[in-house]
Amino acid sequence: MKIDPSMLKPSAIANSNTIKSTKSFILKYQVYFLIGSLLILSILPLFTNRSYILGVFCRIFLYSILAGALNTINGYSGQFCLGIAGFFCVGAYSEAILSTAAKMNFWIILPIAGIITALVGLLVALPTLKMQGIYLAIVTLGFSEIARLLALNWTSLTGGPMGIKGIPVPEIFGFALKTSRHFYYLYLVLAVIFLFVTSRVIRSRIGRAWMSIREDQLASKSLGVFTSRYKAINFMYGAFWAGIAGAMYAPYVRFIDSTYFTLDEGWNILSMVIIGGQGTLIGPIVGSVIVNYLTELLRPIGQWRMVAYALLIIVMMWWRPQGLAGASNSIVAVKGETRMRHRKVSRKEAQA
Amino acid sequence: MKKTILLLIVVSLVAPMLFAAGQSEAADTNVIKLGVLAPLTGTNAEYGKGFEVGMQMAVDKINAAGGANGKTLELVVRDSKGDQKESSDLARQFADDMSIYAILGDFTSGCSMANAPIVDAAGLVQLSPTASNPNYAGMSPYTFSIMGRQDSEAPFFARYIIQKYLGLNKVGVIYINSDWGASSYSNFKAEADRIGLNIVSAVNYVQDEKDFSSLITKLRAANPEVVLILDQGAVPQIINQIRGTGWNVQLATLGPGTSEQLINLTGKNAEGLVLSTPFFFDEADADLMAWRKEFVSKAGFEPTIHPVCAYDTVYLIKAAIEASGSGEITRQTIRDNLAKVSITGVSGPLKFNEPGDLTREYMICAVENGKYVVKEGFDYAKQ
Repeated sequence: MKIDPSMLKPSAIANSNTIKSTKSFILKYQVYFLIGSLLILSILPLFTNRSYILGVFCRIFLYSILAGALNTINGYSGQFCLGIAGFFCVGAYSEAILSTAAKMNFWIILPIAGIITALVGLLVALPTLKMQGIYLAIVTLGFSEIARLLALNWTSLTGGPMGIKGIPVPEIFGFALKTSRHFYYLYLVLAVIFLFVTSRVIRSRIGRAWMSIREDQLASKSLGVFTSRYKAINFMYGAFWAGIAGAMYAPYVRFIDSTYFTLDEGWNILSMVIIGGQGTLIGPIVGSVIVNYLTELLRPIGQWRMVAYALLIIVMMWWRPQGLAGASNSIVAVKGETRMRHRKVSRKEAQA
Repeated sequence: MKKTILLLIVVSLVAPMLFAAGQSEAADTNVIKLGVLAPLTGTNAEYGKGFEVGMQMAVDKINAAGGANGKTLELVVRDSKGDQKESSDLARQFADDMSIYAILGDFTSGCSMANAPIVDAAGLVQLSPTASNPNYAGMSPYTFSIMGRQDSEAPFFARYIIQKYLGLNKVGVIYINSDWGASSYSNFKAEADRIGLNIVSAVNYVQDEKDFSSLITKLRAANPEVVLILDQGAVPQIINQIRGTGWNVQLATLGPGTSEQLINLTGKNAEGLVLSTPFFFDEADADLMAWRKEFVSKAGFEPTIHPVCAYDTVYLIKAAIEASGSGEITRQTIRDNLAKVSITGVSGPLKFNEPGDLTREYMICAVENGKYVVKEGFDYAKQ
């Protein structure tokens, strides 16, 4: 399903070469890099107990999962979802409600919140299976706002504008996870689980089906891929992990209300995917690290931060549409105009 | 080249971390630093600016008069953008920095409540001038607010303004669906039910709504004698749109206080508007006028009650520091003394109740000839 290199503009080829050598270097020693960075991350809290620094790391882990979940939808199956904040919202409220009203244990709620969110993801996916591109994007955008407004107005369940306070912290065998250091490890472990599971799924039959849908839906259908089923699974998978992220987040902040889950949150996560890279596992992590670091790095310049983000996204779209560490050998690496031409050509080929 | 770029990226990302980790924690014992969380950018930027100017005025005055217990106060102002996550990150930064003795802020209840577990764990006071969610102050012994609880103002409004002062019975309510709006309305409704006031229609809207015509039509159909608006930001638009439809009903509002901006934006439409306020820039009060003049010259806009409260929070902290006498000043002594002190600030008498917020008294104002006029003073409710 590779694109004919002649389709690419010369500049795109030059750019992909620029990173190629660094990339092959990293790929060659991939295992060492992985073990090394895990080792560093797991001993880091022993050197610092500053809750600010650990808080920034917690945010990076959390957004790695959220951006990674969005990437399975936008990056791997090529659907355009703008509603990730809505899934995040459903997951967080599920955890908050079940732990405060039903007094359930965090570890039981965690998968339940994921499953609830996955079912909501299915509800969004079913009526939109035949939609593509901008139409799907608008529907998911609408869903995100509906989720937030439900949280704001369903007062008896969600506390309405008062939010939900006093969300209990998780416990392991009677040991309460309270400090930043505890949450650092919880988030790290969950982020690693997410990466591991997703890497297995991506290499499975399901993951390959997603990628074939991304490259050319018509062609993959003609090769016997049941596209609508795989698209629905894809939405559910992304929603599941966004829900898990929400369920991790609620006990961390101990108080949630609907203002956490605005469209701005969705743009924030989307910008991580766009900057970091679509269609690779490492991309959203890179995006999460860059965006969250930049937030801290550029704090002194105040409102100009937003301008810097915008510039970064524009430059990225222009220089590397697949993102910094995105999948260079896929359709996400092709710029809009060329992509249209590619679709037309391949459709003609399919008809011929 | 590629490797240089990669290296530069890595260095620029790692550098701030190392910098943050390596910051010296040694504190000057003659300076007491106060962390300020305020939305200096974003939709609430105007209020954040008001915080900054109001608090700086108080600090300048205190330091010029010899400081608190001989120690100089210093503000460390950070922009929270009105975003809970940013605000929490900054609160953690303050919590880590042992030279910070107390946090003043944040502006919204949402941010302040998100920070409550952080300040609770750090044993650091977070004194918000404006957080009005009734749940906020009780979340931790370290959380305080001086905005005044809605469970006193809204009942006051029902009993003394609508029933006693205006002498009306059929009320239409339009309120913002936020933590503040919802708690104001439920308090108002509870008191209205108790005293036999008839709420003929109640409608609400979400933040940033611009067109209220359908809500106004609905209210008008219920034919109330008075329309009560519960909001801060959107009050001028609602007044203009009600008058724009040619509806000449009595208007009342709870929330904006005596805001000059409201009169500027509504002009003649605000004539006859009745409102409650814990505080009023009385032109006969020379000290208050001097305060207002100084604020306008520094901020470039007219103050509302928010910067006044912000100003008062600094004086509360000063009182808490002075209450330690010659003893050592720590985060804990500031908290313990803050819960006990009683001062009269620009915004009125300040004394915390058990959860850490306060019950204010209100007066009744009306707009006459484009100006706020006090109709009934603080003692109206006692008569």
